Amino acid sequence: MWTKNPFVLKVLKLRVYYNKMGPMTGRAINQGINRGLMKLLGANMQGEIIYSFIIIACSLMIYFGTKELYNLTSHKGIKYFRQSFLFFALAYFFRSFIKIILYYFEVSELMNFLPFFGSITFFIFMYFSSMAIFYLLYSVMWKKCKFKYVIYIFHFIALAIAATILIFRNQNIYLLINVLFLVFISYTFFTSYKDQKKKKSHNLYFIYFMLFVFWIFNIIDILIPTALKAYQLFIYLISSGIFLLILYKVIKKTG
Amino acid sequence: MKRNKLEIIRDILKIVQENRTIRPTPLLRKSNLSSSRFKEYYTEILEKKFVKESYGKNKEITLDEKGVRYLEKYTAIISFIDEFEL
Repeated sequence: MWTKNPFVLKVLKLRVYYNKMGPMTGRAINQGINRGLMKLLGANMQGEIIYSFIIIACSLMIYFGTKELYNLTSHKGIKYFRQSFLFFALAYFFRSFIKIILYYFEVSELMNFLPFFGSITFFIFMYFSSMAIFYLLYSVMWKKCKFKYVIYIFHFIALAIAATILIFRNQNIYLLINVLFLVFISYTFFTSYKDQKKKKSHNLYFIYFMLFVFWIFNIIDILIPTALKAYQLFIYLISSGIFLLILYKVIKKTG
Repeated sequence: MKRNKLEIIRDILKIVQENRTIRPTPLLRKSNLSSSRFKEYYTEILEKKFVKESYGKNKEITLDEKGVRYLEKYTAIISFIDEFEL
């Protein structure tokens, strides 16, 4: 059955082609296998487009679905909640843009392939990603924040994260930043949950926590493409599930 | 129990809806707010076009379409805010 797979056949054809070329060097074999594998990865492009479409559509539906509620109330919590999903949609747009370029040109790192354009795209992606998470975090804790300029601090941190990613082009730094980011979010989030008077909505906190964790995985997947390749499908399925669940909850409440 | 901003606006709009047209002074009295707080909320609902003023013999306040929409959506708004802890 597996030999009918067009991508596997392409890999085999490449091998036959290299065999016809006569005795191969180790480098030639590697090149052949790498090209074949890259073609196999091409199958992921369709999946990538579907995945991006689901997340962007869910985020925009949440954003526009809550527009009337915000227009009627000007409630700050609704404003931050909406902005979070707008930023998720924008971040995902840039994420899928990066992924499609990587697949199309068969390159593993955008910043090496297109230094200026790649750097700007990464900077925007990281800024939007961080802000999406910060806005969602702030939507549940804004009432407890006495300092009214917190959101400007979040913008500054998001810009600093994006700049750090560009300045230190090192995978260990990427991982460290994301781990620190996750620790900071988890700490703030659980502090906010602990301070809650009525602990009725632990489901929501669990969903948000899962969203944060899987969003970090998505960021790592873009910054270090090889790190989570084996778990990519799992990450995509869970992430889509979380966004669909939030959309369902929003639709249920807004009608 | 202290009412929040959304509840106060709902209460003011309900008073206007129940009376169809009402003058500012009875509205202030029925809304159970201090005059400074009432002014603050009244300016907001006027700016948001929840109510409109008409001038005949006296200044009269009537509910506008957006105000009706607010009252219709109020339960959904509260439920949404509660659901997402906003």
